[in-house]
Amino acid sequence: MDLEEVKGVAWNARLKLTEEEMQEFAKDLEDVLSYFSVLDKAPDTGKHDFNPVPISNVLRDDEVARDVDAGSLRDSMDTYQDMVRGPRLT
Amino acid sequence: MSCHLTVEKLVTLNERYHPFSDLTKDLSDLTDYPPKFHFSAKDNICALGFQARAGSKILDGYRPPFDATVVRKMREADGILIGKTNMDEFGFGTFCTNSAFGVPLNPHDVERSCGGSSGGAAAIAALLEKHVSLAESTGGSISCPASFCGVIGFTPTYGRVSRYGLIDYANSLDKIGLIVRAPSDLRRFLPIISGPDKKDPTSCVQPRLELDGFKVKSVAVPEEALRNLDPAVLQAFEAALGKLKEQGIEAHRVSMPSLGFALAAYYVLATSEASTNLARYKGMLFGVRGGHIDQSFNDYFSEVRSANFGKEAKRRVLLGTYTRMVGFRDRYYLKALAVRQLIIKEYQGLMERDDAVLTPTMPFIAPRFTEIAKMKPLEVYQADFLTVPPNLTGMPHISLPCGYHDGMPIGMQFVAPHWEERRLLDVADRWCGEFKIRFPGAIA
Repeated sequence: MDLEEVKGVAWNARLKLTEEEMQEFAKDLEDVLSYFSVLDKAPDTGKHDFNPVPISNVLRDDEVARDVDAGSLRDSMDTYQDMVRGPRLT
Repeated sequence: MSCHLTVEKLVTLNERYHPFSDLTKDLSDLTDYPPKFHFSAKDNICALGFQARAGSKILDGYRPPFDATVVRKMREADGILIGKTNMDEFGFGTFCTNSAFGVPLNPHDVERSCGGSSGGAAAIAALLEKHVSLAESTGGSISCPASFCGVIGFTPTYGRVSRYGLIDYANSLDKIGLIVRAPSDLRRFLPIISGPDKKDPTSCVQPRLELDGFKVKSVAVPEEALRNLDPAVLQAFEAALGKLKEQGIEAHRVSMPSLGFALAAYYVLATSEASTNLARYKGMLFGVRGGHIDQSFNDYFSEVRSANFGKEAKRRVLLGTYTRMVGFRDRYYLKALAVRQLIIKEYQGLMERDDAVLTPTMPFIAPRFTEIAKMKPLEVYQADFLTVPPNLTGMPHISLPCGYHDGMPIGMQFVAPHWEERRLLDVADRWCGEFKIRFPGAIA
């Protein structure tokens, strides 16, 4: 895996890597991806279930309830005049 | 009756072995002991009154405003939560050396690893009498540390225990379970933590938990699982097979070719899911905040993630992002899903004749930290080759101590069909009825 490829993947993952990290991860990922190629030899069952056991949707009753106080969730966030502050969108 | 456990004793233990990442300052609630009991929760399980950092610097300072369902159930059953146990960052590790908050030390030898990622949970179970640790496994994070610390690690069927309040690693793999000292603890606490929970749909399809009514008569032992083992592990395992035979449990040597694909399939799925789960950590909602708010959101998020994720977290996020990218999704992700079904089918085939599948838990005894430092990432991943298969399939499994080498414990791992936890309880009762587990020292 070349450094440009690592840089592209890191951008998708919202990670800024140092030159040293990129060198190291390029080697590590190369090793691991090479190992993953064993999957090419595995038979394809054609079954692609996302969970190991069957799961069905479960809907809760539509009842008004307070689970967690919204105010307590805001405690861990940066707020300004009861609004959550975030970075610029552009 | 009062408990001999004091905060001072816990602090002393923590200074020596570092099992906790957050510790109670008050044990006055333990005065009615029993019926009250003390328990700990792995640091990726949310609990009121404690930080929940999942071993990550990016969650430093996060105090959840609610209890995870398992914590609520344990508290309702008279449990007193004494602390959060240290772990590899987000569960990413085999040796519990990837936490931002120190490294727990093996109670049998402080120069060696506790195993990961529930290292603190296994260490404190080994150190404290009558303690129960809530742990969590994605690819072996209960079995591995239980094996290295010489205690019992129980991973229930995927979906048996609600994960509401668990900080996700990989949603199709995460399971909350127990690390304890005795099978009687499993019989007591498994029914408490199990059961449907409307807050976690994956817990709502489960059949009733049965504890009794099955006597294991035979186990399948895959030949593929006996390769590349430390000779001491193989010797202890073979000796255990002999003792099991005396207890009426016959071992049948079998071949399980799909095991050769399990590790790759697991790491593809686990890192793919982890890379999406970790997208929520961006310096706004939990834990540490980002720097300059005037930056664009991409720069802001990237900066805080790059500064606060550890090396292994970055490695796995990169790996998972890569395997989900256009052009690779079919080759890696979809193939890994197909392989999971293949392995489930092969386990089910084996368990048509035999009642469980048995292997050693880990290929070696707990390694020294100096040895771990020399291992490449792929070598670390490959150490999971025995614990990954049952985790990938969601089948319940248990690691039991089965021998010792140089004073260090060796574990064996039984795997049962989905929802058949009672088979594991049966083998645990029978094995521990005769095998003497050595604990490194108790204080309460």
